[in-house]
Amino acid sequence: MVGRNARWRVADLPTTKVGVERVFTYFIAGVRLGTIAQMVPAVRVGAAAAPHHVAYLACWLAAASASIAVSVVTLARRRPVGAAAATADFALACLLLVFAPYVVLPGARFGTWVAFEPGYALSVIITASGVRSLVLWAGGLVGVVVCYAVYLGNVATGMVTTAMGNELTFVVYAVVARMLFNYIRRIAHDADASRALAAELARREEERRARVLMHNGVAIMQLLAHPGLGGSQSGLVDQAEVELQRMRAYLRGATSPEAASREGPDEGGGQLRLAELVARVCDRFADLRIDPLLDLGKAVRVPVEEATAVERALESLLLNVRAYAKAENVVVHLDQDGGGVWALTVSDDGVGFDPASVALGVGLRDVVVGELGQRGLGVVITSAPGEGTTVTISRRIPPPGRRDGLGLVADAR
Amino acid sequence: MVDDASVIRASLALLMTDLEVVLAAATVEELVRAGPAVDLVLLDLHLVNQEQQPDVRQGIAAIRALTARGYRICVYSQEERRFVLAACIAAGASGIVSKAVPTDRAQQLFLEVAAGGTAVSQSVVGILEVLVRRDCITVLSERQRQILHGRARGLTYAQVARQLFVSESTLRGYWQDLTKSLSESLRDLTAAEIERALGLAPGDLLEFWSGDDTDAADWWRVHRP
Repeated sequence: MVGRNARWRVADLPTTKVGVERVFTYFIAGVRLGTIAQMVPAVRVGAAAAPHHVAYLACWLAAASASIAVSVVTLARRRPVGAAAATADFALACLLLVFAPYVVLPGARFGTWVAFEPGYALSVIITASGVRSLVLWAGGLVGVVVCYAVYLGNVATGMVTTAMGNELTFVVYAVVARMLFNYIRRIAHDADASRALAAELARREEERRARVLMHNGVAIMQLLAHPGLGGSQSGLVDQAEVELQRMRAYLRGATSPEAASREGPDEGGGQLRLAELVARVCDRFADLRIDPLLDLGKAVRVPVEEATAVERALESLLLNVRAYAKAENVVVHLDQDGGGVWALTVSDDGVGFDPASVALGVGLRDVVVGELGQRGLGVVITSAPGEGTTVTISRRIPPPGRRDGLGLVADAR
Repeated sequence: MVDDASVIRASLALLMTDLEVVLAAATVEELVRAGPAVDLVLLDLHLVNQEQQPDVRQGIAAIRALTARGYRICVYSQEERRFVLAACIAAGASGIVSKAVPTDRAQQLFLEVAAGGTAVSQSVVGILEVLVRRDCITVLSERQRQILHGRARGLTYAQVARQLFVSESTLRGYWQDLTKSLSESLRDLTAAEIERALGLAPGDLLEFWSGDDTDAADWWRVHRP
């Protein structure tokens, strides 16, 4: 019970569809019980002055009982009453209005709580406007308006403006209450939809992270399982160790494992020397003939997370070269222009591919283009069958019209 | 050709049938003594071996000794260190071809160098680009800079040609002229100038840029005993 009671306060209620329906029950019970509180002080006087005492008391008790019943049922089911109960609610309010001329003297029908029926009817209109059926709501409203006219009868003569004002009160309160009920429900619906979307996006992002993280490891395992590796075996084992550390960090839930364990190019202040990082990755691919030309980018320093993404992308590119390109030479070139914009170019003279007809695999699509694109880095892939492949990673903004949604430019010639 | 490995000397003509091997010498001294008229000398950088020829010219000294006698040189070596390779160009070599390159490709490069062209390894192209960007070499036109920019990033002739809207054969011609021009400019630079441009400490290149063209010192050994 403690756990259940702890959620009764409005401030603790969730901002979900269920939560707002619960709040509605508080509102409905408050209005209905409040109306009874307003009816109580006049009941004795009303009963004494009524032409039919018993009938007056019976009507009063019917109204009070209905209000209590609606409040209790609403609170118990944690949402407003359904269509049948709302119909009965409207019907009772109409009946009480129609029956009122027999139990309330004409002089008491305006502006007194002795004639509790109009006030009671208003409370029903306000609280039952949350009913989902538009027809039921409109019918109930029309019924109350008509029955109020019957209730007034000849009494309204000479007080037409007051009577019209009271009729408009029913209409205006009904419309306003319905607007609020519906609008709050829509907010809750949108909130639930947004949460669901956020959860779905988070799930997809986690899937993407897992794909990015596993991709290089899988490629290395595939190469390790390949017979006849010869001299490149030891380099692969070193890389496998690096990938193993990454996977362990991922399983531990660490967001940036390299940041915590990286040695060497750390400049402090969360910055790394990119050239040293690139050189280290190239060293891990000793079986490829790589020319690392990094002099022009010696001054490039990038945030740790960006460096991690570039490192992973470069590894993925070189794994691709190793597995598919059949390249004799690979050039890894780092440059920085006068404006501080840097560009890392990876070119191979291998078999190349046609970007227009070949769907990019996880390595290029997620590890390179997706991951780097998320960090605001541009990726340009140029390749053609028989002409090798060139991938440029940079902060440069690609020329207009040559960039798709992924930040990828692929020239097929 | 000059190579201390007899198996290389014996097999070159068999592997590269488009080449006419006039003389396969074990040392530069042997080649100089014979003095053949050739289009190109293929020169291994490492010629000293303790068993047979412990005290012969090699490396930069060998290049200078041969270029001084008017020979056109293409270095054919396992050497990978980029400053060593750049020093070879600076010493007068017209081409550098790695022994790791497939023989067909190597033969093609030898023929290009013999015909007056140049063959510069990618790592040396990288150094040349740095020297141009640091204004150590300033004779380049805008188009030449663009070509160097593309080639330094490993782009193929076809890719660079498309970028510049010229034919691939035209681009190859431009590249030959450009590398020849850059190689000549490199010869005019001092080791200190290159050290400054590359952000190296003073003296870092001394062991590569030996000024002694007659001594057979083992300048190329990084790890001296």
